[in-house]
Parts: sequence; C-alpha cells; structure tokens
Amino acid sequence: MKAVETDVLIIGAGPAGLAAAFETASRGLDVTVIDESLSLGGQLIQQTQNLSSLPSDLSPMRGFELAAHLIKQIEEYDIRYLLGHRVIGFYQDGTIGITDEVDVFPVKTKKMIVATGAAENAVAFPKWTLPGVLTIGAAQTLINRDFVKPGNDAVIVGSSDFAMDVALQLSEVGVQVKGIVEKSTGVLSRNTEKVKQVNKIGIPIYVDSSIVEARGMGAVEEIVIKQEDRVFTEKADLVCIDGGRSPILDIFYQLGTSFGFQKELGGWVPQYNKDFQTDCKDVFLAGNAAGVSTQGALVLTGRLAGMNVCEALGAVSKETAAVEKKGLWKELEIVETKYNLDIWHARNRHVDNFTHPVLKDQFIS
Amino acid sequence: MDKSTIICRCEEISLEEIEKVISNGARTFDDIKRLTRCGMGPCQSKICNCLVAAAINEKTGTPFHEIPLPRMRMPISPIKLDTLATNSTTFSSVKSVLDEVELEDGKVR
Repeated sequence: MKAVETDVLIIGAGPAGLAAAFETASRGLDVTVIDESLSLGGQLIQQTQNLSSLPSDLSPMRGFELAAHLIKQIEEYDIRYLLGHRVIGFYQDGTIGITDEVDVFPVKTKKMIVATGAAENAVAFPKWTLPGVLTIGAAQTLINRDFVKPGNDAVIVGSSDFAMDVALQLSEVGVQVKGIVEKSTGVLSRNTEKVKQVNKIGIPIYVDSSIVEARGMGAVEEIVIKQEDRVFTEKADLVCIDGGRSPILDIFYQLGTSFGFQKELGGWVPQYNKDFQTDCKDVFLAGNAAGVSTQGALVLTGRLAGMNVCEALGAVSKETAAVEKKGLWKELEIVETKYNLDIWHARNRHVDNFTHPVLKDQFIS
Repeated sequence: MDKSTIICRCEEISLEEIEKVISNGARTFDDIKRLTRCGMGPCQSKICNCLVAAAINEKTGTPFHEIPLPRMRMPISPIKLDTLATNSTTFSSVKSVLDEVELEDGKVR
C-alpha cells in the first residue's frame, strides 16, 4: 500500500492537466498527476492535425507536438506520476480512493484540479451497434496511435472541425471516405480551409441528411442515407460517428459540485467561478471538463486553474496572481473568440451563473 | 427514428421500450433506468445518457436543461472486487454496514 499525501492532485494528464502541473510544480508545490492511460498527453498524442488557435507563446503545431512541448516543460520538476491509475471514488473525510488495478489506496490532497476532459456523444440509428460503427475519435486513435486501418470504405456521420480533420487523415492512410452526412442544413465546421480541402479531394458532404439504417451480417456492410426525399445506399465497412462531445462529470458528481447547462460548452458543466474553482472550495477544474473548447483554451484554463491553486496555497502573492490571471483571461478571450464566439459567450454566462443562487443537490434522487 | 433502434447497447434497450415508460410517466434518466434497466450495464450510462435525454426531450418537450443527469455512483468505473477489497489492514475501500454501527458497552448505541 502506498498512501500518498500531496499539495495538489491533478486528475487527467491531457493539455489542461499538464499545463496546470507546470504552473503548480514550477512554483515549488508538491504535485501528483494521475491518469488512467500509461502515457502523458491525453488525446493530444494521436492528434496529427495542425492546431491553429494556441496561446501567443506557442507557435502553431500539431497535437502530438503540443503534448511533447507540455511534457518537456515539466521534465525538470519532481512530480509524482500515477499513470495507469484510476480514481474510483471519494470518502467522507475527503480522501480519494485510487486504484492501480491491483490494489486501492488513499490519497490526501490540499487542492485538487479535475481535468477529466470530454467524452464523445453517440448518434443512434438502426443497427448502429454493428461492428464497424465507431466514434470519430476511436477511428483517429486507431490510425494515428495504433497504426491500424479500421476499414476500406468509410462514411462519417457529423461535420464538426474534428470530423473534417479525421476525414482528411483517413483519406491519407488510404481509407476511401464515401461521404459526410450532416443532419443540419449546413456544415458545422467553422474551419473553411479544412472544408475546402475535404471538397478538393472529392469527399461529398450531404447536409440536411440522416442515416436510415446500417446493414450487414455480423459487421456493417452498407449504410442507407436519406437526403430530403432521396434515399440511397453506400457500401461501407466503417461508419464514424461524430456526435459532439460533453464534459466527463462522474468525479464532480461524486464530489457534490453544482452543475449548470450550457449547450455550447457540451451540455451539463460543473459550476465554477472566475478562478476555475467549484463550489467545493478545494476543487478546481480545467480543460474540456470546464466546457468543451479548442486545445489552446484547454491549455489556458489549465494555467488559470494552476495559478489559482498556487494563490490559494500561498505559492504566489495575491498581487502576482492577479496580474497573471488577468493576462490569462485576456489570452483566453483572444483564443476562444477567434475559435468560436458562442463558446466564449457561453463560458462567461456560465461563470456569471456561479454567483447567482444555483440549484444545489439537484440530482440527488 | 425507427422504434427498434437500440438506445442502451449494454442492456439492449430499444427506443420503443424507452418511449413506452416515458408515456407511462417517466421523466428522468433514473426513472427510465429503474423501469427498464437502461444504463445499468458495464458502461453505466456513459453512452446512452445523451440518447435518453434526447428521447425525453422529443417525447415530452422538456428542455435539456431541465432533464437531470443520471446518478453516478462509486466506483466511477468498473473495478474487480478483488482489487476493491484491497490487501491493506489500515485502509478499507469498502464500507461495511458494521462500520456505521457505533457500539457502547458492547451494545449498539
């Protein structure tokens, strides 16, 4: 048994968690980072697309390069890494139960930064449970991390920026992308450059369309698409579902934080204030868990949460923290308004709601 | 959407079954869970949560911000009982009913 006591526990080692680890560890705090994966970087490690809206101190780079940068930044600090570990729950006295899959042991921390990220949402249609139907993120993981070609003929359901990225990446590894099916009347991706590239390599985008059903014996073989009054069938052994993403909330729910609903941030989001602090005063949050956004914003929210924890634990002076936080919020505004103004507005509404009386314990049933 | 569409893949619950309990008065994910086993499989509603919320919204018109989240209990993700029990003598991850009983002079207080 290896009971741990630490100043800061960071749950999740993606862009937000790593950025928070740098802020806190570089100011002399005792930091512990836990992630269920065996490697640092979270989803960044399979992102080969170029990330354009990054903070001003970072030049445009690809996802895995950003992961490498954030990891290098914290190399010199003595951080305790609990990789391949999971949080299983919380005890009444605030102790956190952590498992290494062999044993469960307690962790006690002064402050916690929860950066658990977001999960992909499902899109259901008849026979979507057939093998060959996966989420768009799973398809990207297979080609970029595992070097496995998940199929020969693909249809993508949904047209976000991420869907465009993966459509291009699938094409690059020799998967024939037969089409992108979008139920809205227009393409959701705001990155016109990427949509142009998708058009250029001849991938048709069907808007105002939906999947009627998947067909196949034991695995998906063809997919029936409905566009207005036209119904047609495409041969496909791979269907990638892009239903958007929502914050992962289990840990917040167990901790008893309040939640607010912001559609643009991915639905239910834990309530937090301008300091990225929840209504459990020792619990801070960062990254997609605080509202689904772009990688640059994830890094910035990680830095903000880290800075606030430093201030709370006396590792930086109030004055320094105030200046730093002001700069980070300004930077977040620039990155997020450039990426998607709706997300920036939703984040501000959400933060404003914190000071209004929020409905507490609304989910206890 | 076709009524036969599976919504909860772990427990194989179809849209038809979910709509039926909604028409019988179910209004939250947990209502539907208790009546159909939807969300009680290995993924613990991580996949069907948003699909069920959409079904409630579609059928009753309840806006999404009034449809509460499903209850998320410990353990947060599946864990072997052997692991959960731990081999520690100083730390117990599982609370026994007896842990909550307070004794006084050998009797339950």
